[in-house]
Amino acid sequence: MPIIEVRNLSKTFVTKDATVQALKEINFEVEEGDIYGIIGMSGAGKSTLVRCLNYLEVPTQGTVIVEGHDLSKLSGAELRSLRSSIGMIFQGFNLLMQSKVIDNVMFPLLIHKVTKAEAKKKAEQLLDTVGLSDKAQAYPAQLSGGQRQRVAIARALAMDPKILLCDEATSALDPQTTQSILQLLKKINRETGITIVIITHQMSVVREICHNVAIVQSGEIVERGLVEDIFTHPQSRAAKQLVIEGKDPDEFAKEQEAKSKAVPILHESRKIRIVFGTQSSFEPVIANMILTVGVPVNILRASTMDVGGTARGDMILGLPADPASQEKIISYLKERGLAVEEVQ
Amino acid sequence: MTANEINMILTGVWQTVYMTLVSTLFGYVLGLPWGIALTVTAKEGLHPNKVVYRILDIAANIMRSVPFLIMLILVMPLTMLIVGKTYGSTATVVPLVISAAPLIARMVESSLNEVDHGVIEAAQSVGATNFQIVTRVLIGEARVSLVSGATITIGTVLGYSAMAGTIGGGGLGDIAIRYGYYRYQADILWTTVILLVLLVQLFQAIGTLISVRMDKRHI
Ligand SMILES: Nc1ncnc2c1ncn2[C@@H]1O[C@H](COP(=O)(O)OP(=O)(O)O)[C@@H](O)[C@H]1O
Ligand SMILES: [Mg+2]
Repeated sequence: MPIIEVRNLSKTFVTKDATVQALKEINFEVEEGDIYGIIGMSGAGKSTLVRCLNYLEVPTQGTVIVEGHDLSKLSGAELRSLRSSIGMIFQGFNLLMQSKVIDNVMFPLLIHKVTKAEAKKKAEQLLDTVGLSDKAQAYPAQLSGGQRQRVAIARALAMDPKILLCDEATSALDPQTTQSILQLLKKINRETGITIVIITHQMSVVREICHNVAIVQSGEIVERGLVEDIFTHPQSRAAKQLVIEGKDPDEFAKEQEAKSKAVPILHESRKIRIVFGTQSSFEPVIANMILTVGVPVNILRASTMDVGGTARGDMILGLPADPASQEKIISYLKERGLAVEEVQ
Repeated sequence: MTANEINMILTGVWQTVYMTLVSTLFGYVLGLPWGIALTVTAKEGLHPNKVVYRILDIAANIMRSVPFLIMLILVMPLTMLIVGKTYGSTATVVPLVISAAPLIARMVESSLNEVDHGVIEAAQSVGATNFQIVTRVLIGEARVSLVSGATITIGTVLGYSAMAGTIGGGGLGDIAIRYGYYRYQADILWTTVILLVLLVQLFQAIGTLISVRMDKRHI
C-alpha cells in the first residue's frame, strides 16, 4: 500500500479579483521508502500540492490518503497528531530566529509533550545526525544557509516522521551546499527508510536523488514515473524540455521567449537523441554505425550524467538529409538496444 | 525649596512611576489578549473570524479616539465603583488602563503581524495548535517589537498620568499644576518638568537596552 495516495485532487483559490485553479485532477502515489520528486516551473502549483499532503492547504476536491488515513476525515487533533509523522522543510528554512538551534529542534518535541530532558537528548542526537553538534547553542542568524537547512532537517525529523516533505529545500543554496544537503537527505532515507517528497524546479536535484518523479505544469501532472524511464523516454513536451535540453523549467521558459524572438539560423533536417546505459559506450557504437551505414552524422551534443546513481550517456545526433540513410541509422541504433528519441 | 517641598516632589516621582507601571501592567492584561485576538481572527490570521475581528477592531478605534482627559471624566463612575474615590494616583490608574489598553492592543497586533508567515507554517507542519503557535512562536519571535511597543506605551501612559494631575490625579503632574501653575512657583514647575523628562528618558533607555539585548536576529 502506498504511504501517500492522492486522488483527483483539485485546488482553486478564490481571491477578490481572480479565481486561480492551482491544481487540476492530480493523481499519484508514493511508496514507502521512496524518494519522490515533483518538478515544475515556478507557479506550476508545486507548493500548493505539497501543502495539500499535510493539509496545510485543504484541497477543493479529491482525497489525500497518508498512511491509510483520509486527511479530510480527521479531526483537528487527529490531523495535528498525524502531522507529527510528516516532517517538512522549506526554501526559506523557517526557523525560529529568536531561539537557539537546540530549541528549534526541541520545538516539535515540546509541542507534543515530550519532557524537556528527553527532548534535549533527542535534539542533540539529531544535531549529531545533521553534523551540527557544535552549533546547539548558536542562533540561526549565526549560521550559513546550508547549516540553517540542516537545523530545519533536524527539526523536521524530531518526531521520527515516516515522511519528509521538502519544498524547494535547496533552491536558496549554492550548488555545493545543495549537493551536501541532498547527500544528507539520501543518507537519512537509506538509514531510516523515511519516505521523501522533493519539490524542486531543478532537474539536477531530481536526477541526483529521486527514484520517481512527477512533472507538474500549470497545475497538472503531465508525466510521472521512474526517473530513469523519463530520462530515457520522455513523453510529454515538458519532460523533453527538462531531459533533452537539460534545463530547469524556469530557464527553459526564458529560453523559449528568447527563441521566439530570434531568427532560426541553423536547420538540421532531423535530430535524434540516444541514451546509453552503463554497458555501452559512445565511440564504438557511433563509429561502427558510420562505418556500416556509410554516411556521416553530426554530433550536436554528448554528455554523461548521474541518474539515480548510475552513469548515463546522452547524445544528440543531426542526421543526413537522405531519408533512407536516416532509417538505416535509426534501425542500426535500435538493434544495439539503445533508446532512440526523435527531437525537434 | 523647602524640605517639605522636596519630600512632596519625591512622593510625586514615586506616584508617577507607580501610576505608569501599574497602569501599563494592567493595560497589558487587557491589551495583550485583545491584540492577540485581533491578530488571530484577522483575515490572514490563524483562526479568521470576521465578526469577532470587526467588534474588536471597532472597539479599539472608538476607545483610541476618545481624548484621555475626556476618558478620565467618562469613566469616573467606574473608577468610583472599583477604587471607591475619583482622585489620587490609584484612582487615576483606572482611566489610564482604559486608555492604554486599545493602544497596547494595536501595538501587539502590529508586532505579531510582523512575524514571518513561513515560521508559523513550519510550526503548523509539526502539529502545533493555534494556542501553542501564539505562545511559543508569535510572542517569542515578535519579542523585540513587543518590547519596543511596551516602551512607547510607558512613555505615553506617563504623559497621560501627568495630564491626570490637572484634576487631582496625584503624581508630578498634580504638583506641577498646583504649585507651578496656581501658585507660580517656577522652581517647582521646572523641577517637575525636568523629572518627567528624565523619567521618560530612563524608561526609554531601559526599553531600548532590553530589546537590543534580546534580539538574536542579527549577529
Ligand atoms: N493562497 C493563495 N491565494 C491565491 N492564489 C494562490 C495562493 N497560493 C498559491 N496561489 C496561486 O497558485 C498557483 C500555484 O502556486 P504555487 O503552488 O506556489 O506554485 P509553485 O510552488 O509551483 O511555484 C500560482 O498561480 C499562485 O499564484
Ligand atoms: Mg513554490
